[in-house]
Amino acid sequence: MTVDGHVNYYAVSLAIAVCSMLPFVLAFEGRKPQARELVVIAVMVAIIVVSRAAFFMLPHFKPAVAIVIIAGAALGAQSGFVCGALAAFVSNFLFGQGPWTPWQMLALGLIGCLSGLVFSGAARLRRPRPGLPGLPGLPGREEGAFASVRARKRAERLRTAALCAFGFLITFALYGLLLDTAAVAIFSSGIQGEALIATYAAGIPLNLVHAAGTAVFLAVFARPMIEKLERVRVKYGLYGGRAAGCRPYSGRGKPRPYGGR
Amino acid sequence: MPPLQRAGQAPPLRWAVSMGNATQYSAFAGYHPLVNYLFFGYVVLVTALFPHPVFLAISFAAALGTSACLARRSMPKFGLLLAPPLMALAVVFNVCFTHRGVTILGYLPSGNPLTLESLLYGAASALMIGGVVLWCACYGAVMTSDKFLYLFGRVVPAMSLILSMALRFLPRYRAQAARIASARRGIGMGVSSPANPLAKLRAGGEILSVMVTWALENAIETSDSMRARGYGLPGRTAYANYRLDDRDRGLLVVFAVAITILLVLVFSRIVSVSYYPVFVMNAGGASPAPTVVWAAAYPVWRAVAYACHAAVCFLPLGLEVREDWIWRRARTGMLVDGAD
Repeated sequence: MTVDGHVNYYAVSLAIAVCSMLPFVLAFEGRKPQARELVVIAVMVAIIVVSRAAFFMLPHFKPAVAIVIIAGAALGAQSGFVCGALAAFVSNFLFGQGPWTPWQMLALGLIGCLSGLVFSGAARLRRPRPGLPGLPGLPGREEGAFASVRARKRAERLRTAALCAFGFLITFALYGLLLDTAAVAIFSSGIQGEALIATYAAGIPLNLVHAAGTAVFLAVFARPMIEKLERVRVKYGLYGGRAAGCRPYSGRGKPRPYGGR
Repeated sequence: MPPLQRAGQAPPLRWAVSMGNATQYSAFAGYHPLVNYLFFGYVVLVTALFPHPVFLAISFAAALGTSACLARRSMPKFGLLLAPPLMALAVVFNVCFTHRGVTILGYLPSGNPLTLESLLYGAASALMIGGVVLWCACYGAVMTSDKFLYLFGRVVPAMSLILSMALRFLPRYRAQAARIASARRGIGMGVSSPANPLAKLRAGGEILSVMVTWALENAIETSDSMRARGYGLPGRTAYANYRLDDRDRGLLVVFAVAITILLVLVFSRIVSVSYYPVFVMNAGGASPAPTVVWAAAYPVWRAVAYACHAAVCFLPLGLEVREDWIWRRARTGMLVDGAD
């Protein structure tokens, strides 16, 4: 990556961005995912892109990161990564591809992956259960569906608050800083501390708006969206989700969500 | 064009073509996706990675010409509008934050030196960024998503399938969102026009949530249908509307020859550049030069390198211009024929 003795930072950072996405891509492709999984991911990608396009008039106040976080939380880390990375790629078909595309893909992919690790990783390790996905230890439906409506609402609120805080932090810290660093690598002949600090400082207001937007959209969208995703997951037995006493929908005949054989 | 169209007269053929599918009309887009992709891969990588001023100038000029030519054919103007501010930013950024270089022109208000070298590198990186942005805009116009899927469908099949399905879903979801909104208005759940932003956001969230339910149910149907048609079974092939013919092979040979010559000349350092600490261009070849004759021929080899780079960069523009010329000549002929 050196041309005539000095390091080309753009080349190095591009190589890093591409190489860090490769393991995810290879793992996903190597698993030979089922058609049903692919279609659900495609749905999420399309929804992210549509939602980014729908708020074109508000710069930086976009629901895209929020929905990537929801996708990661509901579908798991690997699908979250694929959703985020492909959503960045597809939406740039509308907004313009450029030298920034690989970094947007990496940033959104990592956000989806981290969200999956934080919000669905622990739950996946246990027996998949119906009801609410989310933070380990929160009550699901089987733990007192009627007795503790209040407790469930409180748990839901807690989960939404956790999602909002996570969204705010990760948008500001990961997406903002990663893309600001990429901007320095694109614009400058080297990575100087001074240039980095100036770029980060200039980026703070924009990143704050973006992060606040993510938190607001999570507060509004998270509950309904996760419920819908969970409903489909349970109804059709996607991603290991299944209703109590019900075998996963095999694709033959009508699904029998509640009650089994 | 408008004067040609009168009441009761069929629009000229050119309109019919350019309205149907914008990329159809571009001559370069008519070549095989592999040719398109290799071309853009070459120009974007060379522009981004090799900061030689002559190379950058050639690449930028070609990018400007090609994108201006494609912009007439309904390419989005986004790249053309975005490039100038980014280029200005690149110069300012370098001058302000890079203080390497030995030729001091003056001092910045911060007390840091303003060097000729950082100014030159700023200018070079402005050309680089402008070139890459414009080439990416052209890429978007020429490499449509179906071509991308054709090329990468075998390398990353699952990801490509997601990509193609997501692209198909976009217009579908937009239409469905409009349908849901109008249904909600119909049952009196629409948002009144001077609504506060929070209510609008909430309504948007509800429409989105309805759409997600519909989309996911729809997705299950799609995937069952795919399963029924044997998705993922071995031995299935996909239809592709592309054929690598002699015309494409010719361009591939041109690319291969030009790129080989360039690689040899760049890695033997006959064409080279260095910005810091002093700006030096084409400092020499392998030193010491093998023979005097070889050293004397350096200017010739440099001219060859520039010519090769220019030949590749200006290739699509040349094809477009040639196509235009052929078209204009053919149409003049038709008009004369029609007058008879």
